[in-house]
Amino acid sequence: MRNLPALLLLPAALLLIAFLVLPLCATVWLSLSPNTLVRFQGHGVGNYAYILGKLYYVGVAIRTFRLAVETTGAALLVGYPAALALSALPPRLAARVTLLLTLPVLAGPLIVALGWMIMLSDGGPLLHPLTPVIGKLRLLGSEAGIVIGVTHFVLPFVILSLGGVLRAIPPALLEAADSLGASGWQRFHQIVLPLSLPGVLSATVIALSLAMSSYIAPHYLGGPADLTLTTLVAQFVLATFNGQMAAAVSVLLLLAMSGLILVLTAALSRRVRA
Amino acid sequence: MRHVGRAYLALVLAFVLAPAGFVLVDSFNAAASFPSPFEGLTLRWYKEIARHPEFPEAAWLSLQLSLLSAAIATVAGFLAAYALALGRLPGRSAIETALSGPLLVPELVVGLAILQLAGLIGVPLGLPLLVAAHAVFGLPLVLRTVLSGFSRFDFAMEEAARDLGADRFQTVVHVTLRLLAPSAVAGFVLAAVLSFVNLPLSMFLTTAQTATLPVIAFAYMESRIDPMIAAVATLVMLTAAALTVLIDRLTRGKR
Repeated sequence: MRNLPALLLLPAALLLIAFLVLPLCATVWLSLSPNTLVRFQGHGVGNYAYILGKLYYVGVAIRTFRLAVETTGAALLVGYPAALALSALPPRLAARVTLLLTLPVLAGPLIVALGWMIMLSDGGPLLHPLTPVIGKLRLLGSEAGIVIGVTHFVLPFVILSLGGVLRAIPPALLEAADSLGASGWQRFHQIVLPLSLPGVLSATVIALSLAMSSYIAPHYLGGPADLTLTTLVAQFVLATFNGQMAAAVSVLLLLAMSGLILVLTAALSRRVRA
Repeated sequence: MRHVGRAYLALVLAFVLAPAGFVLVDSFNAAASFPSPFEGLTLRWYKEIARHPEFPEAAWLSLQLSLLSAAIATVAGFLAAYALALGRLPGRSAIETALSGPLLVPELVVGLAILQLAGLIGVPLGLPLLVAAHAVFGLPLVLRTVLSGFSRFDFAMEEAARDLGADRFQTVVHVTLRLLAPSAVAGFVLAAVLSFVNLPLSMFLTTAQTATLPVIAFAYMESRIDPMIAAVATLVMLTAAALTVLIDRLTRGKR
C-alpha cells in the first residue's frame, strides 16, 4: 500500500488534466490558428501580433490592469481596518460577522450586479436623494461603476484573508508592548502592521486575480466602451463567433494575470524580508 | 477606540450587504417601473414567475448540475485531501497549489477552453460537459474545506481502531469518514451553491436544452431589468442564505 497516496490523488488529477489542462492546450492551439479576422498560413503568432498592434485592444488590456489595481487598492484600504476590527471581536460575534460577509459571495455575482444596477441607476435610491447636492452623477455604465462593483466583490475575500492573519498575532506580543509603554499607534506600526504584511501580500494576490477575472460586474456596470479582457473574450465568442481571437485574448489574460502576480509576489516578499 | 472599530465594521458590513438588500426590497415593491421608490408591499412579482416557465425549468437543471458536480468534486477532493493529510507525499505544497489551479484561471476562460477542446475532438455540448466544468471548479473548494477538517483530525484515532482489531476498510468508514463527514458535507454544500449561481463557467457550454438558471437570467437581463427578476434573485438568495447557515453549523460543529 505504499502507493496509496498517489492512488488517492488519481481522480482529482484526472479531472484536472481532462477538464482544465487539456482544454487550455486546445485554447493555446486555437489562439495560434488563422481566422476570419486575421489570415495567415499554417500556425503562428499572427493573432497576438494583431491584438498588440491595435491601440484599441491595448487600451482594453491597460483598462483591465488599471481597474484591477484600483479595485485592489480600494479593497485593501477599506478592508484592512475592517479586518482589524473583526479580529478584535469576541469569537462568537466574529463568526456571525464572517457569515454575513460571505453571503453576497454565495448569492452569486449576478444577483449582486442586479443590486448595484438598482442602486446606481439614475432614479435609484442611492443617487436620487443626492441629486440636489452633487448634481447628476452617472455611475452606471462607466468605469466608476465597474470599480464600485468589483471592489464590492473582492472586499469579503480581502477582509477574511487579512482577518485570519491578524487573529494569529499572539496577544502576548501586544501585552508586552503595552507593559513597555508603547502607544496605540506604536503598537500598530511596530507590531501589528509588520506581522500582517504576509497577509496583505496574499490578500493583494487574491484581489488582483479576482478583479482581473471578473466578468459580470464589468459587463453590467460598465458602458459599452468600457471593455475589459474578460468582456472582450465574451464579445469574440458571442457576438463575432471568433474562437481563435477569443482564445488569443484568453491566453493574454492568463499571461497578464500570472505576470502581475509573480512580479508583485517577488517585489513584496523582498520588502517583507527587508 | 473599540466603538470606532465596531461602528466602522458595521458600516462596511452594510456596504457588503446593500446590493442584495436592495434586490430583496425591490422584489416586494408594488411600483410597476423599475427601479423606483418603494410604493407598498406586493407578492405580484413572485406570481409573475409562473408566467415564465423557463425559470423553474432552468432552476431544476441548475439543481441537478450543482448536485452532480458537487458530488464528483467531493469524492475527488476528499480523496486528494486524504492523500495530502497522510503526509507521505514528496512535493506536498506543489500538489496543493496545482489542485487549487482552477481558482486561479478565470471561470470564463475555463468555460471557453472546454468548449474549444470539445469542438476539436467532436464531443457534443450537453449536461455531462457542464457537470465536468463545474466539478473541476468545485474540486479546490472541497479540498480546502476537507484539508482544514484533517488539520483537526488526529491520525492516532486510526491507529487506535486498527489496534482494536478493525481492518483498514472498517477504520476508514467508521473512524475517518465519520469524523470528517461534517467537513465533507460543508465542502459539498459550498461547491453546490457556488455551482448553482455560476454564470461565467456555463455561458459558453449551455444549449437550448441545458440552459442553467444564471444563463436564463443573464439572457433575460440583457433585454430588461424588472421586479420579476428581483423576485427570482431573492428566492435564490434566501436558499443560499439558508445553506450558508448550514455550512457554518457543520464546520463549527465539534471543535
